[in-house]
This record gives sequence, structure tokens and C-alpha cells, in this order.
Amino acid sequence: MSDDHDDSAIAAQVRDLEAVLEEKGLLDPRELDQVLEAFAAKSSPANGFRVVARAWTDDGFRTRLLDDANEALPELGLSMGGGLQPQVLHVVENTADVHNVVVCTLCSCYPLSLLGPSPTWYKSPAYRSKVVSHPREVLEQFGLTLPESTRIEVWDANAESRYMVLPRRPDGTQELTEAELAGLVTRNGLIGTAAV
Amino acid sequence: MPRTNDVGGLDGFGPVVEELDEPPFHHDWEAHVMAMNRALIGQKVYNLDEFRDAVERTMSHESSYYENWFRAIRTLLKEKGVV
Amino acid sequence: MSERYRTGDRVRTSTVDPDHHTRLPHYARGHVGTVVGSDGVHPLADLSAQGIQQPQQVYLVRFTARELFGHGDHSVTLSLWEDYLSDE
Repeated sequence: MSDDHDDSAIAAQVRDLEAVLEEKGLLDPRELDQVLEAFAAKSSPANGFRVVARAWTDDGFRTRLLDDANEALPELGLSMGGGLQPQVLHVVENTADVHNVVVCTLCSCYPLSLLGPSPTWYKSPAYRSKVVSHPREVLEQFGLTLPESTRIEVWDANAESRYMVLPRRPDGTQELTEAELAGLVTRNGLIGTAAV
Repeated sequence: MPRTNDVGGLDGFGPVVEELDEPPFHHDWEAHVMAMNRALIGQKVYNLDEFRDAVERTMSHESSYYENWFRAIRTLLKEKGVV
Repeated sequence: MSERYRTGDRVRTSTVDPDHHTRLPHYARGHVGTVVGSDGVHPLADLSAQGIQQPQQVYLVRFTARELFGHGDHSVTLSLWEDYLSDE
């Protein structure tokens, strides 16, 4: 962990390296600002919430999403582009029998464009080491206790694909609008460490 | 020996700690490291797998996530003779 | 590019502990799983990290927790390049 002193030191080192790279023509400060602005503007878990709410209310969309998420996302004006390279997205659906949970045991692979920057716990060795071998215990640390009969499917995003969980629609939400449904979804629900 | 990053199934990292209302970045420099890395990969100074390899070779669980990234960037730039 | 394995095939992962970058995690080495789908063609990460681009078929392979860890009733699915796999 870093204290404030370390952070001012590393902040200065980052600035120094930026200056060197700018001098060499490898870094354009305007490009850097653009990357940061685009990231802040477009990369948010609200995108994932919208996808889930549409899948809950439009069965055709849900089917297309599960079949080929990259093809279905543009229906909502979304894509898996915008990063370093377009990524394949697999949406995995929770059912009465199966609960899905996502991890990247080797680093921190995550669908940034749909979920925004990942939380520190997702990148932590504590989560990455344990959720593959003891998912039930890890989910309980998040306050999610699953019935013994629920089968847990862990997806290790260890290569080029990214994963997003499609949670189950909560009971008693038939009257809610799509926007209201989107408001029920949480980032952890899209990773699989919450029910919704 | 598996590399430091390869932690799946290992014991000893303690409980998962969730930070409530966590901001996207804890410090401004972290966002700059993220953007710098994207720019350098975009300019083909190195590729994403070379970057991951550099993180794996130089990382420490004692350092923060973006500290590890910054160390890897500096290592790659030095190895490639850029700086 | 022809696919060596099809959905439903049983495959064994490599036991090699390479001294370079790889995307076959330690916990998934030397185990038998089932191909559950194709995951496209991508440059083999091990070589890409050395600046060599060699696209190769990637498979979604599912393992039981019992096979991987000797306990547990869940399953784990990974994306594995053809180089990491051999016939059971």
C-alpha cells in the first residue's frame, strides 16, 4: 500500500516519463487527454445495467445477446471496441440452477467498455486466487449465500474473451420500466458476486 | 515456478476486501499511467502481451496495481532502448 | 484454419511450466476437461509476448473443480490455445 509521500514521488516520476515520451514524439498530450476523457465518458457500469434491463424486457434481444453479444450490443449503441483491440464478449446467464461468476486469475481482464474501470478487489490476489477454488466461500464474503442445489460456474477470463453475467430478474418487478429495472442492477451483479 | 501473477487456487492472500463507493482511480497519476500505456501500445512501441509479460516479470504483491503497471512500462521502455 | 477439437471432445492440458509468458494458469495444467465451444482464432500469447504473431485456434474448455483442485462441486471454464491441449 502507498502512503501520500510515495504517491507524490510516483506522480512526479509519471510526469517526468510523460515529458520524455512527448519529447520523443511517442506521446501527444492531447491524445492522452482524449484517452482519459473518452474513458471517463464512455466506460461505465451503467452500460452493463442497460444491457441487462433490455435482456429482461425483450426476449429476442436476450437470445441474441447470449448467442453473440458483440452482434447484439450495437442495438443499444454499445460495443466492445474503444479499447486496445475489439474484444469478444460472452454474456453468461444465471438461472434457477446455475450461478455464474467471473475472474481473471492471471491479471485483471474485465469488460471495461461495459462495466467501467474494475474495482480493486477484482484485481486483488485475494479474489483471484480463491474464487476459482472456493467460489461458495468467496461469494459468502460478499453476502451472497446460494442454495446448495445451485451449481456454480466460474469463468476465468484468461485469454482474449471477456465475460459479463446476466443476473436473474428479481421477483415482483413486472410493473417496472426498463429504466427502473436498470436501476436495480449492480456492478457486482454483472461480475457474479451479487445476485443482481 | 509459476510467475507471481499466477495465483489461481493458491492460499494465503486473506479475505476479499471490498471498498465501498470506490472511485475509478485513487490518484490522478494512475489514470495517466493507464492512458500512457494505451498510447504506447497504440503506437506499437510494444504490444499488450509484451506488457503483460513485463508486469509478470517485475510485479510485487506489495505494490499497488498501477505501481506495478508503471514499473512494467519503465522496464519495457528501457529494454527496447526507448528511454 | 481447421479446428483440431470439437465441442464435447475431452482434452488434456499441458504440464509444461514455461519460463516465459503464458495464458495457461498453473492450476489448470495437466488436467482433463471438455471442450464446450470455439473461442476464435487469436495470436498465441506466449509468442506474441516475444514479438511473434502466430494466430491459432482457441477453445473454451470446462473442468470440474474436483479435477482441478480435488474438491468442490463447481466447474471452471477457460479459454485455451490449441498448443496447450492434447488428446486425453
